[in-house]
Amino acid sequence: MSEKEITEMTTPGYEIPPELRHQVTITTLERIYNWGRANSLWPMMFGLACCAIEMIATAASRYDLARFGMEVMRPSPRQSDVLIVSGTVTKKMVPQIVRLYNQMAEPRYVIAMGACASGGGPFKEGYNVVSGIDKFIPVDVYIPGCPPTPQALLNGLIALQKKIERQSLRDLPWYQKGAAEPIPIPVLGPDLMDPRKYALIREVTRRQATQAQEGEVSNE
Amino acid sequence: MTGWGVLKSLWVTFKHLVVTYIEDLRYGKRRYFTPEGVEARRSSDVRGIFTVQYPEEKLPVPEAFRYLPFLVYEEGPNGEKQMRCTSCGICAKVCPPQCIWIVRRNDPQTGRPIPAPAAFYIDVDICMNCGFCAEFCPFDAIKMDHDYEIASYNRLSEHIYDLEKLAKPVSYYASIRPTDYALEEAARAQKGDAKKAGSTAG
Repeated sequence: MSEKEITEMTTPGYEIPPELRHQVTITTLERIYNWGRANSLWPMMFGLACCAIEMIATAASRYDLARFGMEVMRPSPRQSDVLIVSGTVTKKMVPQIVRLYNQMAEPRYVIAMGACASGGGPFKEGYNVVSGIDKFIPVDVYIPGCPPTPQALLNGLIALQKKIERQSLRDLPWYQKGAAEPIPIPVLGPDLMDPRKYALIREVTRRQATQAQEGEVSNE
Repeated sequence: MTGWGVLKSLWVTFKHLVVTYIEDLRYGKRRYFTPEGVEARRSSDVRGIFTVQYPEEKLPVPEAFRYLPFLVYEEGPNGEKQMRCTSCGICAKVCPPQCIWIVRRNDPQTGRPIPAPAAFYIDVDICMNCGFCAEFCPFDAIKMDHDYEIASYNRLSEHIYDLEKLAKPVSYYASIRPTDYALEEAARAQKGDAKKAGSTAG
């Protein structure tokens, strides 16, 4: 750790007497805990499209994710902390992504890598592409670029580490009482349907049906 | 023999480890965190470790590298920004994923359009960094940036780039793309000379 990082971590607002400096250090449990969490983020081995190639390059020895404590890409959601959504999210893939996210052990983080995962990218208007994975799962860091270079991805991962170091354990959802609610898995029919929007969809269909009925009545 | 392949691959890794220390002893501190060190380690005949220690040292990007577009402005004598953009809309028309939105500026008195943008938006969540806008712009007003360190925590507030965020000075453009800049300036000077010659002859 650099000098600056050490001072950032060891200044919780207590004055250390001058004769004890460089011998005693004070920190808070939260900071030391967050520091540990931020430096052991294991990403999931999960690639979707061309961004995945850049993600693979980032994990390889030229850029080497392991330098940031991200060690290895875990091939199981149970063992991973970060879900890097690397690439175009098609409507057919969303149910699987949400399922993987639900299976990840908490604390869990999501990085939307590239334009497609953040907001649909060049395929935003496409019939088969979801315009942003954050419509379904909460995203922590967005990395623009098409695709982001390995260094841009590393920059995003460092941004995620900084975010984790600033978090307070009191208001994080995964340190509250009770089990977390899993995100309902979207249903792929003729089009993608989000189960959280059933009430809205039902309302719209009902309105359209009554309108059609009224139209028929007036035609007669 | 079972496990022979594993041993062979571990031997390669071990050789890398040893060679890294030999190289470190030979070149010392200038192998890390210096531009020539990065240059030496990125070459194809590098021996030992070739990892670029990213946040401390960065791999230089090639001059033709393109990330997101930006708008070039000339700095006036009093430090005011004179946008090169005339809001002609050619970039918005050629943009394959249609991520550019331009509003033309009108003269407040006469209400007639003047060649400057009132608003210029690029949705970086749609942009695919193809560089067509920079290629087609007849005024050299939009160029591709080299800055890739733009990760954010909120896309709705930060991923729609407006005029404020897109505008960058000519000096910045000249610093990231010196070759292109020199060529464009030469062409512009030649054009200016031709115009002058034409006006004197006519």
